[in-house]
Amino acid sequence: MASTTEATDSYKPYRLKHTLSGHKRAISSVKFSDDGRFLASCSADKTARTYALSSPETPHNEFHGHEAGISDLAFSSDGRFLATASDDRTVRLWDVATGSLVKTLSGHTNYVFCLTFNPQSNMLASGSFDETVRIWDVKSGKCLKVLPAHSDPVTSVNFNLDGSMIVSSSYDGLCRIWDASTGHCMKTLIDDDHPPVSFAKFSPNGKFILVGTLDNTLIDNPSFPQFSHYGLISDACLSCFGRKAALEFFYGKFLKTYTGHVNSKFCVSSTFSITNGKYIVSGSEDNMVYLWELQSRKIVQKLEGHTDAVISVSCHPTENTIASGSLGNDKTVKIWSQEED
Amino acid sequence: MHADPLQGDFPEVIEEYLEHGVMKCVAFNRRGNLLAAGCSDGSCIIWDFETRVIVKEFKDKECAAAITSVCWSKYGHRILVSAADKTLILWDVVKGERIARTVLKQTSLQARLHPGSSTPSTCLACPLSSAPMIVDLLTETTILLPVSLSDTGNGATPPLRNKFSDGSAPFTPTAACFNKYGNLVYVGNSKGEILIIDSISIAIRAIVSVPGSAVIKNIVFNRSGQYLLTNSNDRIIRIYENLLPLKGGLAALDKANHEFAEQDQVEKLKSTGSRSLALFREFQDSITRVHWKAPCFSGDGEWVVGGSASKGEHKIYIWDRAGHLVKILEGPKEALVDLTWHPVKPVVVSVSLTGLVYIWAKDYTENWSAFAPDFKELEENEEYVEREDEFDLVPETEKVKDSGINEDEDIDILNAEGDSAFSDSDMSQEEIRFLPPDPCPDVPEMEDGLVVNTSKDGEISESESPFSEEAGQNGHLTNHESSPLEEDTGGMRLKRKRMPSEKFMDFETEDIKMPPSKSKP
Repeated sequence: MASTTEATDSYKPYRLKHTLSGHKRAISSVKFSDDGRFLASCSADKTARTYALSSPETPHNEFHGHEAGISDLAFSSDGRFLATASDDRTVRLWDVATGSLVKTLSGHTNYVFCLTFNPQSNMLASGSFDETVRIWDVKSGKCLKVLPAHSDPVTSVNFNLDGSMIVSSSYDGLCRIWDASTGHCMKTLIDDDHPPVSFAKFSPNGKFILVGTLDNTLIDNPSFPQFSHYGLISDACLSCFGRKAALEFFYGKFLKTYTGHVNSKFCVSSTFSITNGKYIVSGSEDNMVYLWELQSRKIVQKLEGHTDAVISVSCHPTENTIASGSLGNDKTVKIWSQEED
Repeated sequence: MHADPLQGDFPEVIEEYLEHGVMKCVAFNRRGNLLAAGCSDGSCIIWDFETRVIVKEFKDKECAAAITSVCWSKYGHRILVSAADKTLILWDVVKGERIARTVLKQTSLQARLHPGSSTPSTCLACPLSSAPMIVDLLTETTILLPVSLSDTGNGATPPLRNKFSDGSAPFTPTAACFNKYGNLVYVGNSKGEILIIDSISIAIRAIVSVPGSAVIKNIVFNRSGQYLLTNSNDRIIRIYENLLPLKGGLAALDKANHEFAEQDQVEKLKSTGSRSLALFREFQDSITRVHWKAPCFSGDGEWVVGGSASKGEHKIYIWDRAGHLVKILEGPKEALVDLTWHPVKPVVVSVSLTGLVYIWAKDYTENWSAFAPDFKELEENEEYVEREDEFDLVPETEKVKDSGINEDEDIDILNAEGDSAFSDSDMSQEEIRFLPPDPCPDVPEMEDGLVVNTSKDGEISESESPFSEEAGQNGHLTNHESSPLEEDTGGMRLKRKRMPSEKFMDFETEDIKMPPSKSKP
């Protein structure tokens, strides 16, 4: 059962709708496509799968080809392509409709751990254990830039709303913000005692960064760099942030902190739920999915059902649906939905 | 830490050049993420300006003549090209299909789509040797615009002062452009007059005489529609301030015409003209007296840029709007044929006679303090005053450690301010922001070896990066030392080249070295 703690009157709890088993080893990531038609999962079993949400119980496609486990995946904005990041040091691009391999992007010198498309989907950013972030041209498969991102494995990469900025996070305890067009570092964010940063993601409007650290705490970090801090960068797209310079830049001091879950070992993903109220959703190593109310930071629900740590969560773009994936004792993807009226 | 105050937001160096056939003319879409280029073989290509790869190619089998101009529709759905074989072709950008093709009697030097519609089918064409015309591309009807007051049957016909042509053609090319909403056409004629013409009734509503009365070669508005630029044969670029309201321009003209009704026709139109445009600035190079080529405004209208029309010279002059020359960019010894400023960035794109497209950008230097989380750059030396408790074993401030942040304060994660650079226009129509990706499938032989692929992905920066050494050590990836030239022999359609700028290479190398890398074999 899904226990509800401090449920507000308006909060409708999520219930388990589907359990998708099929992967032979731990799930590493789950993602909905932007159009909401598909869910994709990838696993340490070297495969990725897509599921049509109309009938999720049977996979829509399976993607075979990687020579080692897959750590992350991402849909292109139009949902036609799926990119996967693997321990075989490659990023692969797949045709969602046919399941066929389109491109292999080689260049990382160690495990590729995370990746994301920019909103335009003409570029891919991938982060690796080789401590770099690479930016790839999707059309040609060429590596456009190698960002000297971190001094430890890169745990996540994410583009902001208009694709002008990239945030990367790393075990080195830092989050860095990059100008996506020039590849220049714009800002480094750090907590006072810098625990490994396991996850970072821009809010839907790109004004905040949700940061997960391995000391159990999810942090909502304002991303407003004061313009004078990177005055050399004169990209007009960025100056819209400059105009907000009245807002002070909080140097890695956290605006909101979400606690209660367990996260000490894995790079557990979290996300914003915005389809019905605003929540932060995160996996947890106590086998549950946690939901916090965004503003009050109170836990509104813990979704129970998985039998191993929940490593990845994703929210459907329009419906009140959450997907979660769990590690090797469980190996399933679960789909949770709010009760209909 | 700020940018050097002496350095403005204008381009300084050639960042890169694009190569594909012989490109003749270029145009950015509204956001500047796509660059359309017309080629000498009649094809039109679209570059993704972020990744600098070709994402679309339009080629009409009936058109093999050089493209003379390219123009995007307001929201990027359509592209109009004019070619040297007198044709105008309208393309659907996403489908890549020809919407319409019209053959005129004359080759158009420039064709501009009506800016008032997101799916325009009318355009303003400026032919080589006839009056500008409004062309309906679907019905293939053309309406000639008057190029002087005499054409409308009013006033005496002054002799054409045709300094520009070789004498065979009775007309000089006449410049014309739409205003922001397309309800008015501004025509610059060979007598040095700007005629403001109602684009529906084709009636002259106002006349402005340009000082010097020299042939007007170019006439162009800035994006906001507040400033008009003319380039005349007297080697002077002039900026006019548009005094008419942006939306109700026609009504304001009617009102002024009505007010001056008692004056004779010419006087009335000139009086109205004086209420429509006010001369704001003049730019010239009084020493070299160069003719100007393809002058235009920067995206924000703060800068004016013009190319030198001298042969064998690729010089781009940049002025600020106050009239000061701020920079002369000197390119290779190839004549400049087209020039455009990026809609939002301090980037200028110029086309050379040889058909290369040069991208001029700011000479970025890495902001190293951005890598250090708590690093603050000082403008000048300061005497450091330590805090009272700075060397205490337990600092007072640590005990309190009040971040001053109220965690209960509501935050807004959803609403983003509109991009103010584009907020001047109504976004009732869906804009084409980008073209969906269409990755070229890997060729089969590339699959069997990582080496082929890795030889391509390297930037120049990789040549001395710690990673390439590392890769050499563990023997997996051997071919990292790739130069941009090798990169191009890699078999794929790579049309993107770095300029071999020493400075750039040095800096990129450092770039990689910056955060000390721990080897992870």
